[in-house]
Amino acid sequence: MYAKGLRNESTSPSPKGRNQTVMPFASGLRTLSIVTVAAFAVSLSLVFFYAPLDADQGFVQKIFYVHVPLAIVALLGFVVGGVFAIAHLRSGDSRWDAYSYVSIHMSVIFGVAVLITGSIWAKASWGHWWVWDEPTLVSFLIVFLMYATYYPFRYAIEDRERQARYASVFAITAGAFVPLNFMAVRLAESLVHPRVFATANGGLPGEMMLTFLASLAACGLLWGTLVKLELTAKSASGQLKRLRRALDAPVPGAASRVAPEVR
Amino acid sequence: MPALPLDEAGRYVAGAYVVFMLLILVYVGIMAAKLQRIERDLRELASFAEQGNGHKKAAPGREDEDGEDRAQSEPVAPGRGSEDQSISVSSGPSESRGGDG
Amino acid sequence: MTPSRAAYAAILGKDLRTELRTLQSLPAMALFAVTTFVIFRFGLDRTSLSGSLAAGVLWATLLFAAVLGVNRLFVSERAEGGFDAIRLAPVDRTALFAAKASALFLYLVALEAAVVPVFALFFLDSAAALPPLVLVLVLADLGIAATGTLISSMAVHSRARDLMTPLVLLPLVVPLMIAATGASDPLMAAGGPDYERFGTWLGVLGLYDLIFLLVGYAVFDFLLED
Repeated sequence: MYAKGLRNESTSPSPKGRNQTVMPFASGLRTLSIVTVAAFAVSLSLVFFYAPLDADQGFVQKIFYVHVPLAIVALLGFVVGGVFAIAHLRSGDSRWDAYSYVSIHMSVIFGVAVLITGSIWAKASWGHWWVWDEPTLVSFLIVFLMYATYYPFRYAIEDRERQARYASVFAITAGAFVPLNFMAVRLAESLVHPRVFATANGGLPGEMMLTFLASLAACGLLWGTLVKLELTAKSASGQLKRLRRALDAPVPGAASRVAPEVR
Repeated sequence: MPALPLDEAGRYVAGAYVVFMLLILVYVGIMAAKLQRIERDLRELASFAEQGNGHKKAAPGREDEDGEDRAQSEPVAPGRGSEDQSISVSSGPSESRGGDG
Repeated sequence: MTPSRAAYAAILGKDLRTELRTLQSLPAMALFAVTTFVIFRFGLDRTSLSGSLAAGVLWATLLFAAVLGVNRLFVSERAEGGFDAIRLAPVDRTALFAAKASALFLYLVALEAAVVPVFALFFLDSAAALPPLVLVLVLADLGIAATGTLISSMAVHSRARDLMTPLVLLPLVVPLMIAATGASDPLMAAGGPDYERFGTWLGVLGLYDLIFLLVGYAVFDFLLED
């Protein structure tokens, strides 16, 4: 374990040459941000100037173009976090753990946005701020609660390597949990309730579908940009710690929690 | 439920999009605070390094591997100038020292 | 008998013997469950339950009692070097996972054998629901055993161990609860057991068990790495 830690920190080329291929995280971040902004400009214009009004719900349906893409991106983000976790367990490289951590972090934040926008949509459509009748929203709440426990769980384990390994196991277990959860909640749905998502996704006319896909792309790009941003910040902190160690500098008072380090 | 009249509906839609925007801005704000702290710590570290190692170096402000001296020898201004320096500082080590992560 | 199977039998035997001798977990779990029934009687202000209310009270209670047992599952291994022993032994480490999951499963079965009749006595009008309920209980116990063992083996190394286990385990077993109550609700209907969608719910339970037993089997090795 100690040897593994040393290997990650050494500056001499490792046998795999891993260290030599690492780009600074910020490379490409500027381009990605610009592309994201452009994507949002396009998708928001489509939402408000191009997509036709829904016959059922009227103008309120426009929330669909922010709520659903965010939800899909968040769920995909959880899956991606699980995939990174598998890579981490198989390779032992702590970089995958950092990717997994940030992916889940970003998806949880997107999850907050999903739940709030979903609640607003529920109030506008059905008059209540929360409805248990919409299985997708309920499933999402449960998934969100599951992943929210990632943080207290992670920070309760003090040994860094163990923390990373257990977090990866958590991410994989939770990843397996997501489809099961959606299925179970959907089966529990007994009321024949006008399924907004079914009608919306099933019978989407061409213009709405185009707008939806544009919004989906924009949200996906946003997720990627913010993940890259966070990884860059983590990397910078990591480099700072390295520098501090190398210079034998004093560490400032507040000890941070044992968080995944990016080196 | 029948569709809401446009003025009411507009408020809900606007609310949803505003929430979305706000969350993004809050996140960016938190990142900015983190960056501020990193920059401050780097500055401290640089001055510490100079004090500790300054007498070993022949002249300040030379081309140096870690570029810390470079950032410190310019008058530190919170503008694009120091930002450019910090960008090159972070990319410097990985270019000049091949074995870095 | 292969070394792994011998290790499995040894660990399971040790746990069962310890529990029988010291009676640490089981009586506490059973007592907790019965007390919780009483609390529900007053909390809901009902003396008789049927349908979804009965299913809810039963499964919520069983789940919280199970969490008590899950908390204690790996404590002795951590304290007395059981983890190190399995690491050193030339056996498949998942033998530990299998043994602990089996032990937890047996504890849950024992718990339910004691507590479910009490529940029927307190709240149900007839015991007709009990025989089909056994099937639901067994399948649900498998699921709780798999996920409980997995979470407990990680939580035992954390700081707030008693808080971590329920915190992480409860959302994880929500699909299991949905299926278990979905199956039990019609069984305990006022007019007599109804098998509406019984097969579907059993299928979901089975799928849940399968997935989490596989996940546990696949990742347990990584949990035991030094």
